[in-house]
Amino acid sequence: MCEKNAFRTISATVTKLVEESPLIRTLRVEPEEEFVFHTGQFAELSVPNIGEGPFTPSSGQFDRDILEFTIMKAGFVTEHIHQLKVGDRIGLRGPFGTKYPIDEWYGKDVLILGGGVGLAPTRSLFLSLVHQIDKYKSITFLTGARTPGDMIYKDQVKEWNKIDKVNIISAVDKVPEGQEWDCEVCLITKLLDKVTIDPQESPAVVCGPPVMMKFGTIELLNHGFQESNIYLSMEKKMYCGHGQCRHCVMGKYYACKDGAVFTYDKIKNEENIWE
Amino acid sequence: MLVKVKDFEKFLDNCKTQMPRGIDAVIVPDKSLEDREFKYFVNIPDAKNIILNSYRTVEPIRMLFYLPRAQVFPYEKKNIKRLLVGVKGCDLRSLRLLDKALINDDFIDPDYKFWRDNTYIISTDCQELGESCHCTVLNGTPWAKHNFDINMTRVDDDFVLEVGSEKGQEILELLKEYMTITEAPVRIRELKDKKRLEMEAKVREQNKEFTIQNYKDLRKYASEKWKKESKDCVGCGACTNSCCSCYCIIVNDETREGEKFIKVRSTDSCQINGYARVAGGDSPRPHMYQRFRNRYLCKFDYMPSQFELMGCEGCGRCIDACPAEIDIRKVVRSLAEG
Repeated sequence: MCEKNAFRTISATVTKLVEESPLIRTLRVEPEEEFVFHTGQFAELSVPNIGEGPFTPSSGQFDRDILEFTIMKAGFVTEHIHQLKVGDRIGLRGPFGTKYPIDEWYGKDVLILGGGVGLAPTRSLFLSLVHQIDKYKSITFLTGARTPGDMIYKDQVKEWNKIDKVNIISAVDKVPEGQEWDCEVCLITKLLDKVTIDPQESPAVVCGPPVMMKFGTIELLNHGFQESNIYLSMEKKMYCGHGQCRHCVMGKYYACKDGAVFTYDKIKNEENIWE
Repeated sequence: MLVKVKDFEKFLDNCKTQMPRGIDAVIVPDKSLEDREFKYFVNIPDAKNIILNSYRTVEPIRMLFYLPRAQVFPYEKKNIKRLLVGVKGCDLRSLRLLDKALINDDFIDPDYKFWRDNTYIISTDCQELGESCHCTVLNGTPWAKHNFDINMTRVDDDFVLEVGSEKGQEILELLKEYMTITEAPVRIRELKDKKRLEMEAKVREQNKEFTIQNYKDLRKYASEKWKKESKDCVGCGACTNSCCSCYCIIVNDETREGEKFIKVRSTDSCQINGYARVAGGDSPRPHMYQRFRNRYLCKFDYMPSQFELMGCEGCGRCIDACPAEIDIRKVVRSLAEG
């Protein structure tokens, strides 16, 4: 039986802030004790006396001295996270949930689709894969956002694209007047036409807003990817993180403890997965 | 075993002024408002009219184990032993599901576990029927089969006692200090069984139009049907709050400046808009009929697949609590009948 108190919260200090877009910022935090996670797992972050919410680290699992979260201002708690300053403290609980099975992907071409703030968890995955790049055949990373101004990690993407065996293609839905963009202008799912890896064997990871998850999955299937190779990071309200609060129940599964990473074949018959 | 009703009542009367050895609180069903049907669990010094042999109380005993609000981190165990008297079969059946959900390999709710470990339960058979009682529809019985330490069935001037656990043995020893406990003659044991079957037949008679088959595979019904069934629902959440099986919570951070983190959980309801809202404000169930449907599917589809138990024991509290007079039995029947 589990003896650890799942509500146990440790303190972490904000050590660095990066404004990625008008609504998205990255926080680097230093926990008071080591916080080990596998890429794909999430943590509950709390702002003292305000509340808590589930967030997936955007830093790699092997970068033990760096813990980062990239967070969009989207509600009450995140509003307060966006007011935090360097030196402020937050609470950290977890990690919770399943991981991307990156050690099962050795020798394979890995495809990642990350859209909007969904790029945050895929950055963690990407950095974790790059850390042991010689174990993979290649990494194709498709990144998308509504406009160039919404695209996060722009400078990092340029650096990452220089890494051997890495191919990153970025697209925005549209380019408003006054913004500059030198990559593709289309929906992220359109970029799949440019991908040349063998769909039969390759794992494909999708993380983004629900509509992108849905059409990303449909397009991957159309391109010949296998249902059991499509990894979806489901966004549900994971209040407690450990299968108690029931807010994230999807039929017989809990997004928090049976996910948030699911393969498509596992959940395709469950209730309202795209909502 | 057998004990005189008047002896047991005298014991409870004593408890009002002097707690029994090793017990810090005795909690009983009480009907203080004489002209009302309602019974509530109260601490024994406040009890004016203890009702042991009728049907369930207004509030589920879930609320005594899984408090509407509890600090769960940091968690400090208290030093309290409680004795609950007059608990009903439906409530004790619901504890099977709560035990699986809240004390398992992945997770333990510290406060729920504390109260489960530190509460003695004396259950009593239902010998009166509530209008909404329908335990038999969900394969239950109007007496306890699970999770009691001692069960008592009233037969005329006696209670027939049954010990259900090791903790029950401890309570039996305690009771012996206050009353004479004798062997139950065969005649009285037979009367007990007869009384039970009579009561069960009454519940069945009251619910003869309803069958458990209707509760299965609710997923298949179109949204139009759910819209029709939920048209009177105002989404107040009285059904989930009065339910003996519902255990949804929210987690609040109540940390004070410069102090350690404090986590408090509070009851939540899936009927409230905003329950499943995610970042950015999107809700997977923005319409009332979707939230209404979720409650039924949770109880009769999701929970059975997660716990191999239904999330309803037929206690009927949601029927009594509903301001729109929505009856869970009629809803599932109506869905099935089209």
